[in-house]
Amino acid sequence: MPGLLDKRLWIVSGKGGVGKSTISAALALRSARAGRRTLVCEVNTQERITRFLERPAAGPTLTLLEENLWAVDVRPQEAMREYALMVLRFETLYKTVFENRVVRYFLRFIPSLQELVMLGKILYHLQEKLPDGRDRFETIVLDAPATGHAITFLNVPHVLLRTVPPGPMSREALKMRDLLVDPQVTAAVLVAMPEELPVNEALELHAALRDKVQIRTHAAVLNGSFPERFSEGDLEALSGNPELYRVVKAHHDRAAQAVLAETKLERNLHAPVYTVPRIFVPTFGRAAIEQVMGHLEPLVTGSP
Amino acid sequence: MSTTSLGPALEKKRVLVCVGSGGVGKTTVAATLGLRAAVDGRSSLVCTIDPAKRLANSLGLSALGNAETQVPAKVLEALGVRPKAALHAMMLDMKQTWDELITRFAPPEQRERILSNRFYQSLSTALAGSQEYIALEKLWELRRRSDYELIVLDTPPTAHALDFLDAPNRILDFLDNEAAKWLLTPALKAGKIGLSLFNLGSTYAAKTLSKFTGVETLQELSSFMLAISSMNEGFRERARGVRELLKDEQTGFVLVTAPQVERLDEVTHFQSLLKQNQMEVLALVVNRVHPLPSPALWEDAARLTQARRVKVEETLNELRVLAEQDAAAITQLAAACPNTPIIQVPRFELDVHDLTALWRTGRFLLGDEQIS
Repeated sequence: MPGLLDKRLWIVSGKGGVGKSTISAALALRSARAGRRTLVCEVNTQERITRFLERPAAGPTLTLLEENLWAVDVRPQEAMREYALMVLRFETLYKTVFENRVVRYFLRFIPSLQELVMLGKILYHLQEKLPDGRDRFETIVLDAPATGHAITFLNVPHVLLRTVPPGPMSREALKMRDLLVDPQVTAAVLVAMPEELPVNEALELHAALRDKVQIRTHAAVLNGSFPERFSEGDLEALSGNPELYRVVKAHHDRAAQAVLAETKLERNLHAPVYTVPRIFVPTFGRAAIEQVMGHLEPLVTGSP
Repeated sequence: MSTTSLGPALEKKRVLVCVGSGGVGKTTVAATLGLRAAVDGRSSLVCTIDPAKRLANSLGLSALGNAETQVPAKVLEALGVRPKAALHAMMLDMKQTWDELITRFAPPEQRERILSNRFYQSLSTALAGSQEYIALEKLWELRRRSDYELIVLDTPPTAHALDFLDAPNRILDFLDNEAAKWLLTPALKAGKIGLSLFNLGSTYAAKTLSKFTGVETLQELSSFMLAISSMNEGFRERARGVRELLKDEQTGFVLVTAPQVERLDEVTHFQSLLKQNQMEVLALVVNRVHPLPSPALWEDAARLTQARRVKVEETLNELRVLAEQDAAAITQLAAACPNTPIIQVPRFELDVHDLTALWRTGRFLLGDEQIS
């Protein structure tokens, strides 16, 4: 089983609230620790990752968090500006054109242009080179939006290729699509929690990525899982105390649900499932992320 | 008797809009509110955008579609309650609703041109904000028909809740913009559909813009706008109607969130935004709260055999950590939204889908039960 370290673009998605940013932060930290220049991208959010890693917010500019680890919050306006500057090359030209209200108006409504420039920025950094010819970033971790939006977001190159007539936009879209669908480059990591809806969404996401976007699921992460703690004997022994029994039974049920979720994911995704137990800490910060990272070791390195 | 702010709302309001980011249980809250209102005697419609099949099944429907379907009374009777009014449910199909709108309001000769335009296809499926817009549009239409005493709308799961409020404005901007008129005037006057870039204003800006998008993209967008321009008046009127409906005193918003510090900024931001827009925030529902294990449980645990005691205490400790995390987040939330009532709903042992679970959720929403 190849590990994520064999790929360069790690896309993390799943249902809202399952811990995508947690997993992204842990994966990015691990990649940096492996000595790879790593960029972790959030897409127009309130920046959870820098907060988890107990660093100041990165904002829309690439910010070095620690050795080998950079972060950025990719935002549409800034990405549009960078993209425009790349095409137009001159700041003054950018201002004349892009600060024109008619142009601003059009840009807002060209379908998916925002998504295109945001995804474009991320994929640009994937191909960016250092002066000595090496890749500027060896790993890019994309903390993608939640399921429905992730599909829309990653599908933008495909949609544009169908929608816009041949021209500069479709040329960009073609380049982007080729990177996304290359299994040597891109790996999707689907995150779920051991509950029915998040698991079902992971399966839907898997199918949509495969059929629409042609991205293969590399692995799933079952986050916030409860390991079995109580035996049937424990349950029986506590049956005389309804209050305690309820607590113990709830834990037992949650553990059973985790096993069920794991089986369902494995059977339907045909990809390995890595389990991360629920971490109990008063505030979820760097120490917790490092714990999560420990559980993701086999996903990253590929060792069993 | 209800003790929360949602009780009077269920009795008097005509429209309840549930908002919040994805994964917080918005659909559940919306379904619960509709259910309670129907049981208490107001005919209700739950309009969801979430294709959760189990929710449909739990309401006794094999699937929810773009048409309103009545929830069979005998499904509700299984709860041991006899609903005094009918409960309806529907799932909004974005594309179909857009198509219906165009079919109804576009001049016949433009209809096909619009429906087959590639930009329309993106508008109706992919353009950011169009889901939100069409949900509001549908709400307005349903409200105007006045078939139900209460409509509960479950809004699309936007990562940025404010997209929702901005949606009518964005769509209006799209259809009705001074800049666009100026750009298109020569063509409009000439009555031409196939525009050349020259007609597009032939400005320096338009030329440079086409460097990005390609000339044809601009042309196609222009021709779409020309086709749809005849609908502007209708759209404008409806969007105004939507905005008024949201501010109406018979409309209320229910903000749904999870007890997490990370959600805090989003919730307070949205709450202040609603207030700025003169929209009424009825309650902040904090869903899936972990209750603090009672001291009695610790005493009971202390009497267990050593091995069991260790395991049970570990579990209680974990539950305490979760409860304390949640409580801290809720305290911050309450401080940030001092004038909005907060309603806590506990995390149930299993996923909330079936009717019994919806019913239990309702007991907390209306204050029949409270987290101790």
